[in-house]
Amino acid sequence: MKDFFTVLKFELMGFLKNKTFLISTIIICVLLIVGLSIPTIKDTFFDSEKDTGEDSVDSDDIYGYINRDESLINIKDLEESFFVGKLVEYENQEKLEKDINSGEIEAGYIIETPTKYRYIIKNNEMLDSNRTFFEEALMRAYRMSGFKQLGIEYSEVEGLISPNMEYDTDILGKDSSSNYLYTYILVFVLYFMIIIYGQLVATSVASEKSNRTMEVLVTSTDSSNLIFGKVIGGALAGIIQVGLVILISMTTYNLNADAWDNKLDFVFKIPSEVLLTFSIFGILGYLFYTFIFGTLGALVSRTEDVSSSSTPITIIFIGVFGAAMMGMYNTESMVLKVTSFIPFSSFMSMFVRVSMGTVSTIEIIISLVILTVSTVLIGILASKIYRMATLMYGNPIKLKNAFKLIRKK
Amino acid sequence: MKLEVKNVRKSFSYTEILHGISFSVESGKALGLLGRNGAGKTTTIRIIMNLFNANSGDILLDGQKFVAGNYQIGYLPEERGLYPKKKVLEQLIYLGQLRGLSNKEAKENTLYWLKRLGVEEYKNKKLETLSKGNQQKVQLAETFICNPEIIILDEPFSGLDPVNSQILKEIIRELINDNKLLIFSSHQMNYVEEFCEEIALINKGEIVLTGNLKEIKRKYGMNRLTIKEVNLSPDKLEEIFIDDLRDIAKVVDRKKDYLIIELLEDKTKNDLFNAVVKLNLDIENFSVYEPTLEDIFVKKVGDS
Repeated sequence: MKDFFTVLKFELMGFLKNKTFLISTIIICVLLIVGLSIPTIKDTFFDSEKDTGEDSVDSDDIYGYINRDESLINIKDLEESFFVGKLVEYENQEKLEKDINSGEIEAGYIIETPTKYRYIIKNNEMLDSNRTFFEEALMRAYRMSGFKQLGIEYSEVEGLISPNMEYDTDILGKDSSSNYLYTYILVFVLYFMIIIYGQLVATSVASEKSNRTMEVLVTSTDSSNLIFGKVIGGALAGIIQVGLVILISMTTYNLNADAWDNKLDFVFKIPSEVLLTFSIFGILGYLFYTFIFGTLGALVSRTEDVSSSSTPITIIFIGVFGAAMMGMYNTESMVLKVTSFIPFSSFMSMFVRVSMGTVSTIEIIISLVILTVSTVLIGILASKIYRMATLMYGNPIKLKNAFKLIRKK
Repeated sequence: MKLEVKNVRKSFSYTEILHGISFSVESGKALGLLGRNGAGKTTTIRIIMNLFNANSGDILLDGQKFVAGNYQIGYLPEERGLYPKKKVLEQLIYLGQLRGLSNKEAKENTLYWLKRLGVEEYKNKKLETLSKGNQQKVQLAETFICNPEIIILDEPFSGLDPVNSQILKEIIRELINDNKLLIFSSHQMNYVEEFCEEIALINKGEIVLTGNLKEIKRKYGMNRLTIKEVNLSPDKLEEIFIDDLRDIAKVVDRKKDYLIIELLEDKTKNDLFNAVVKLNLDIENFSVYEPTLEDIFVKKVGDS
């Protein structure tokens, strides 16, 4: 056990002292602290600008129009109904086009009849909505003029057609729509953690083999101390990094929540039971996969072979990730239910179910027990393969052959 | 302590590599494990170190089953390997701790051995920045840090220059004087002759010669003598043996300016000496021939 902790400490310190690890963690944390504090900084130092804030942004833009042959009689209604900017009348098309080209105005409209217009713009962009806004304003002006001619007050008609509906929602289960974002983020975090740290552990094991340190190591201590220390050391480094990022972002947001007007509550106000499930299932799933990656590292002799040897498990893992992502749209789907009990996928699928759906405690416990037992078994298997593959150099060993060799032993 | 390797057999992929290896070694003595490339020396060492399991046979220490993990063993593998990107001191302390030392002991021993081997100045350097010879010395320091009772060195002199070889020789002599049990594999016969009382010569997975080196040499020198005459060239002297002394001895080899001769059956050294005196030869050298280990090695495994 002492040796296990020695290996664990050595491997963990190897990660923590690594400059790339340190710098990337510091940069992420600083960016989060600064990013999440921007509203507070703005409120504190740029107080006066707040009043001139958002309202002025839209109305600063100028749009031109030509009311050809005075075809629209209630031009004032049109101007008032156009919300995205200020409408300015032009005398002729040349001047209008010139100003559009020079960028002085955003776009131009030539009203041919009350229901027909020409839209003039410099570059037609993918997400351009200026035409729609103008069309809505023109339509409203047309309706207003029409109702006026019939002697009906338009505001009354509008009140009947689009009344302000009030509603309340009582959610008996989970509010998937508001839980969606943080679940999505946490599943993504888990995905990247496993892919990145899994590869790092696999490379570390393979490099011990390629630089021949393995022979010294396995003659110094038991191979299970080595693989368990290495995998758990790598896992701890990941947990420290991700835990720090989550902790810093949640703390910084909580300190700045007022300045944000609680707008990001749906991201950062994660219920504690969701965080607990994420931690337990996440850590177990993470260990489960890291053991597999560690084993795959032991089966090759060169670090260059690690990526090709880990391709099959990476494909399975991407499939698992896909299933969990799909499950977020329908937490009652059969696929999500089944995958929440398979150790390869349960850590993600069960987390999605707990976070966004309804799941009984007994189901959570069963899934947890399966995952825990599988992780321990995978760990034991990993230490056997690691030991067996120690002095096997040359071509990568196929997993099938590795099992055969273990059985023979 | 007495380590015995008894009838060890090992196969890889259904091909038997070791066909019943047996030898023994005691504390305070060094055993030279000799053999050509691929003879099975490293495989034998790896079986002793429990890196491989033998298919059959026993490894015993003082009559009990030997489990490498239960003893402090200074093992220098043939394939040298430490962490290239880690600092020297850091990794040696780590490996010392894995062998059961406390952090303090590991550090003290590491510093002692780095100093002893003349690489103390590199303690805070990454291993990959050191020259090959210095890396080799760091590896040797790693072998000795745990004050091992049993020391197994697989080709310890490879990569060392004459000065560093001298340092290592002194260390090995000290270890033998300290009553350590030492197994030593090498191609360099002069080193083996210098340190080893016992040898085990492996050829194609079989022990072809084992025992006390002096006795082996005596046995291989038995009935052989060296002779040199002051006024005659070796060619002339050989002619005399062919013409006048063929009933007593025959010339088997020539080394520099003297002949190696072998007495015929039932003839003694005195018979030859008397015959030589009768021929009135002016003898400069007449002695019992003691073969070098290299001679024995080549004779035993050279043709195979």
